[in-house]
This record gives sequence, structure tokens and C-alpha cells, in this order.
Amino acid sequence: MDKITRRDFIKLGAGAALVTLLPKSLLIAEEKAGPIIGVAEGDNAKLVKAAVDLVGGIDRFMKPGDIVCIKPNLSFASNIDCGATTSPDIVRQMVKLCLDGGASRIIVLDHTIHDATLCVERSRIEEAIIDKKVSLVTLQQERQYTEVDVPLGKELSRIQVAKAIQTADLLINMPVAKSHSATGVSLGLKSLMGLIWDRGYLHRVNLDRAIAELATVIKPQLTVVDATRALITGGPGGPGKTVILNKVVAGTDIVAVDSYTVGLAQWYNKSWTGQQVKSIRAASDLGLGEIDTAKMQIKKVKV
Amino acid sequence: MKLRVKKARLVRWIVQILFLGLFVAAFIQTSYGVPVTLQNIFFRFDPLILLIVSIAFRTIVAASLLALVLIAATLVFGRFFCGFLCPLGTTIDIFDAFIKRGKKPKPTLRSGKYFTLLFLIIAAVLGVSFLHFLDPLVISERSLTLIFHPAATYLAGIFNFGIKVLYAESVVALIVLGVILVLNFVNQRFWCRSVCPLGGLFAACSKLALFKFSFARTEECTKCGVCEKICPTNAISIEHEKVDPAECIDCLRCIYECPQNVFDYRISPAPSRIDLSRRQFVGAVGTSIIVAPLANSLLHQRISGRLIRPPGAIPEADFINACIHCGKCMKVCPTNGLQPCLLQAGLNGIWTPRLAARIGGCEKNCNMCGQTCPTSAIRNLSLEEKTYAKMGTAVIDRARCIAWEQDRVCLICDEACPYGAISSLSETVRETTLLRPFINERACNGCGLCEARCPIEGRAAIEVFSIGEERKRSGSYITEEKIRLRECQEIDEDLPSGFIIEN
Repeated sequence: MDKITRRDFIKLGAGAALVTLLPKSLLIAEEKAGPIIGVAEGDNAKLVKAAVDLVGGIDRFMKPGDIVCIKPNLSFASNIDCGATTSPDIVRQMVKLCLDGGASRIIVLDHTIHDATLCVERSRIEEAIIDKKVSLVTLQQERQYTEVDVPLGKELSRIQVAKAIQTADLLINMPVAKSHSATGVSLGLKSLMGLIWDRGYLHRVNLDRAIAELATVIKPQLTVVDATRALITGGPGGPGKTVILNKVVAGTDIVAVDSYTVGLAQWYNKSWTGQQVKSIRAASDLGLGEIDTAKMQIKKVKV
Repeated sequence: MKLRVKKARLVRWIVQILFLGLFVAAFIQTSYGVPVTLQNIFFRFDPLILLIVSIAFRTIVAASLLALVLIAATLVFGRFFCGFLCPLGTTIDIFDAFIKRGKKPKPTLRSGKYFTLLFLIIAAVLGVSFLHFLDPLVISERSLTLIFHPAATYLAGIFNFGIKVLYAESVVALIVLGVILVLNFVNQRFWCRSVCPLGGLFAACSKLALFKFSFARTEECTKCGVCEKICPTNAISIEHEKVDPAECIDCLRCIYECPQNVFDYRISPAPSRIDLSRRQFVGAVGTSIIVAPLANSLLHQRISGRLIRPPGAIPEADFINACIHCGKCMKVCPTNGLQPCLLQAGLNGIWTPRLAARIGGCEKNCNMCGQTCPTSAIRNLSLEEKTYAKMGTAVIDRARCIAWEQDRVCLICDEACPYGAISSLSETVRETTLLRPFINERACNGCGLCEARCPIEGRAAIEVFSIGEERKRSGSYITEEKIRLRECQEIDEDLPSGFIIEN
């Protein structure tokens, strides 16, 4: 057998280093100029596709045959005009987009706070279940979860996460833009709490930091915020004041999407930036994404 | 009339299984999201509910007037209900198929069923309903709710299917059903012969029945003893060549088992008196007089203030009598929060529904318990009116609350509250904004969703007490004052602690 020469070793090492850099380099353009945020405004029936197209189109995130998990917010058994749950219309558009992208299975899922049957009924989410490939799963049973480590965790060490998202090829986070009595706002990061079993535990520790740590283990490839209307007071369950925004915000960087969306409405009748929301700041501190809107590439489209 | 049923045995089994199946189907259909139509049909035909609840409640249970049809039918055909339709009777028969019988039939304590019937009536006259301990339909329904439903969901859970349902007091219901079945070892259909008050009522009617089984061709009888042996209720006496119509449950066995074809089912004159001696009569009356007041024992359990009744439950004194403790409201409750009482409502309140909010709260957009209740002990309120029927008030235990005691960011109670009854007051401690929950007791409905979701281990830091509960037998819960209050209810705009306020 040949000896490995120094030259071979360097070649091999350089090759290996190149390979590890490769996937990153594909996205390097986005990294340098900051994350892309796609904002579609206007006709509610076209918003999702328009916003997703701005960040590269659904084909960037999936290939035909993929299993897709879509996580809307269905937590409350309140009527859809209340603004506490993701609009079924917006979810349906995403489902359709994924079906067109060739998804083999689409699972719409959430761990609801109120009774699941009533949440499903009131949120009218069944309107989004438009195909045999699409199923609705409420995560009310402990057996639907499996425990994972939180390596970067200070508040969390292990957490039970929904099994469904671990076997899926693509996780799309679809929160509704709303205020929150504990965390200020409830957007993409807060929405991840609908994918764990023991939500209460996060409240028993430092909630804002725990939410950020959750985002280190649950990483949706795409976050699409339903900002067609925003519940600006009385969140997360309502009733409260809602404002009509007719917008959908999409992006791969969950922190950036949240931080940008904070600026879209007057939460509790005041203007806030993403840096002022503790959970978003904590996620940014953990290096999970860009919090400064000045460093994002914000693409807007009217439809 | 000559009756010769070749496959009578088979026909009877089919009818029995069919009606048991219907009973179970009605039970399964008692479910959230299924409109209430015929689910209560068995209770509508139960004359014991009509009799006892109407007397104890001092109001005719109009919905159960259909039971008169069954009484009329019994006056014509005899105790066919027991032999063909009763779900408990069928269950007993199925259980009995596994018991090996001795040759000699044992004598029956026939008076027992009249004793219990009389006991129920007198107690009802004294204002106490003990129906739930003795009515076979109620026992069947409750057994399905408290024993079979949790068991079925448990088994389904093993195969990762469905949602588990649990009831705190299932074991007591199991003991009752177990005793009824085990009594079969003493005598075939022991319950039906000697205990069942509904059987007693039908037996009394059967004494006057138009059609009866009888020794029609006595000259052919060889006194072989087959009929005495096979009769499940020991109704036949060869010695006297008589079939007691009160005991006979129309099972047809004598007809098809008699080798000489002696028996017939035909119109016969009304004979014999009821097998209840004067001494027993006095005994039953005496027992009721002594036992009825005992219904109130252990009522001190209620001073805990934690007995929360379902929304729209009529005032407690009426409720305890109108409620037949069948468990339908618990079956239909989507959150599993309606649980049977053990002693929380006093001795006679066993199996009545209570909201165990730590298990599950009362969802705002659900009124299934009221829709389902067969005797309207829980009124059928509209979804709108139901939100005005206050069940109690939540109370925060500040010493246990992590927002109060440990400066945590919690407010899950506020998140869970659909009535906007929890407000928060911010307080700045060491440059950090903290939010403490408060309860607006006038907005609080007592639904307990906050208690269900409170993240504290064990007992919740926010609990519903019956403070301010409102219960009406009639009239609307919606008043102008309440509407006004709701209109001017402020939406909490206090700043959450999730924001960093920069100066």
C-alpha cells in the first residue's frame, strides 16, 4: 500500500474542507447580504405564493415526494375573526403550494391549548385539508412526542418534541401575528411551543430564553407569518383589538422574520423593534438569526 | 291462541342482542359533535324514571311520558321488557351462559323487587330519589360510561389510537355491576327476580296482563320437571300447575322445551295478588323513612366549595333529584372534565357530575351536557346563554403562583381564559417588568380552563370555587345588567413583560 505523502494529506484535507463548506457556499450570497424576507401585500388569496416566491419559491425547499409538516397556530377555540389562530385560507394556500411542489404527504399539526376538537372546529382548519395526501394531526397525546437533547440549553436540557416533524423533510412554521400577554408578541419563535409536549415547563423557567433555546432544536426551514390581520391586544387568546394588514411575511431566518414582523403593527398601541422583544433578542444572542432589519434584504410585492 | 315457536330461542337472542346493540349505539352516539336526537330513547321509555323522578322532583318528567306505552304493553303482554329488551337483563343472560347450573331450581325471594320499588316510591314521596342505585337502565348506561368507555379508550391507546378517557370513580361503578353479575351464582337472574324495582313495577303490571303463559294442556303433562328446571325466573310450579305471570319474563323457553307441548301463551283472567306481605310492606315503608334522611349524610363534603356543577345545572336541591346519575353528560364532555362525584356532593350525590377542572375545563363553545341530559337536570342552554351561566369563580393562590411567588413570566391562566377574566398588573422590580395575574370575578365564568392549564405541579395555583355560582330552574341567565357589564369590560392593555423598554 502506498504511503500517504504530505502532499496527498494536504490535498485530501483541502478537499474535505471544501466539501464541508459546499452547502454553505450555496447560500453564501444570502448570508453576505443578510437574510431575505419576502413580504406580500394585497389580495389575501394570493399572498402565500407571492411571499414564498420572493424567498426562492417552494421548489427551493422541497423536492417531489417529500413529506411536509405545516405548523399553523390552532391553539384557541375562538372564531377566526378573533385573530388568535392562523387563517385557514392562508394555510390552504400553503398546502396547495406544497401539493404543486409534489409533496407525497402533508401533515398540518399543532398542540392546542383548548380542547382539540373545538379548536379544529372553530379555527375552521379543515378547510385547508383539501386532498387525500393532507392530514390534520392534533398533538394532544404524550406518545406523539419523543425526547431530544438541547445542547445549547441553559434553561432546557431535554425536551419532548413532536415525532412527526422529525421524520418530515420540510417543516413550515405558519404562525399568526398576535400579541402575547407573557412574551409581548407571539410569532415564529413562540409558535414552536406548539410542537412540544410540556409547554408549561417553559413558563416555570425563564420563558423568553427557553423559547430561544427551543429554536436551537426545532428548526423550521421556512417561516410564513399570517399577518393578514394582527391581534394587537388581548393576545394570545383574545378577545382584543385586531388590525387588518393584508400581509404575509416569509423567510428562512426565523429570527429575521419575527423581528421584521414586530415592526408591522403597533403592539399594545406602541411601536416596537425586534430587539425590544426578549425572546427574539435571546434567539439572536444564541446566533439563530439576524435581528437587525437594516441588515436584511427585504423584498416586497403587491398582489 | 296457539303459539309454537320453533326457533324461539334464536329469535329471543337476536332481539336481545339487537336491543343491547341499540343501547350501546345510543351510548356511542352520545358524543361531542353528534346532534342529540334518539340517544336518550331508552330513558324516555323507562317508567321508573317517570315515576320516581316525577315524585321526588315534584314535576312530571314530560319527556318520559312515553314510558306509559311500555306500561300499557306490559298490561297486555306481560314482563316482555325484562326478557327481551332490558340491556342489563341481556348482559346478565350473557354472563349466565358461562355458569353451570345445578339440577334443582332454588326458591326465589320474590318480594324483594316489590320491596325495592316501594322503598323508592316512599323515599321519593319524602323528597329523595334513590333511583340511581337501582334502575337497570341507569346502571347499564353508567357502566358503559364509567367502565367500558375508559377501558375501550385504554385499549385503543395501546394501539396508538384515540384519546384516553378516565373517570375518578370508575371502580365504584364496577363494583355495582360486578355484584349484580355475581349474584347470578346464587340464582339465575337473581337481580331481576329479587332486586330490580323496574322488574317489580312490570311484575305488578303483569299480574293484570291480558296474555299469559299457562299450563294449557294439563292432561298431557307427565310432571317430568323440565320446565321448572329451565325457567330462568323460577316462575313455574308443576305442583300447582301454574306459571306466575309476575315472575315470568316471556322468555318462551317452556314453550319450546316442554316435551309434551303443555304450555301455551293466551288470554287468561287476572288472578293472584302481589307477593308482598303486610309485614314486608311495613318494612319497606319503614326502611325508606329511616334511609331517606340519610341521603343527606356527608353533605358537609360540600363545604370545601369545590363542587362545581355543569353549566345550566338547576339548583342543587332539585338537581340531586332530577339527575338520574346516568353519566351521559360525562360521556359527552369533550375535555373529560366532567367527572362523577364520589362523596363530594354527599352520600346520595354519588355519580352526579362535577367539573374537575384540573382534569379539564368547560369549553366556552360547548353545551353538549345540557343537550344530552335526559331529565333536563342540566338545562339545554344555547351556546350564548351558557356563557352567562356562572359556575363559580377562579381564585388565585398567590403563594403557589409562580408569577406571584417566583417572579416567573407565566400568565398561562390569562392565555387559557376565553372570558377575558384575568387581567395582569405590571410591576417593575429591579428594572424588570413583572406581570401578576388578577381575577375579574364578574367576568369569570368558573369554567376552569385556567385551572386545567396552570403549569404548577399537582394542585393548581388557580382554582375554581363555587363562589358566585348561579343556578336557575327556569328563566334566562342573560340579564341586561350582565350584557352591560360585558360590553364595558375593559380589554387588558397592560404591557407584557416580554418587551424590553429602552429609555
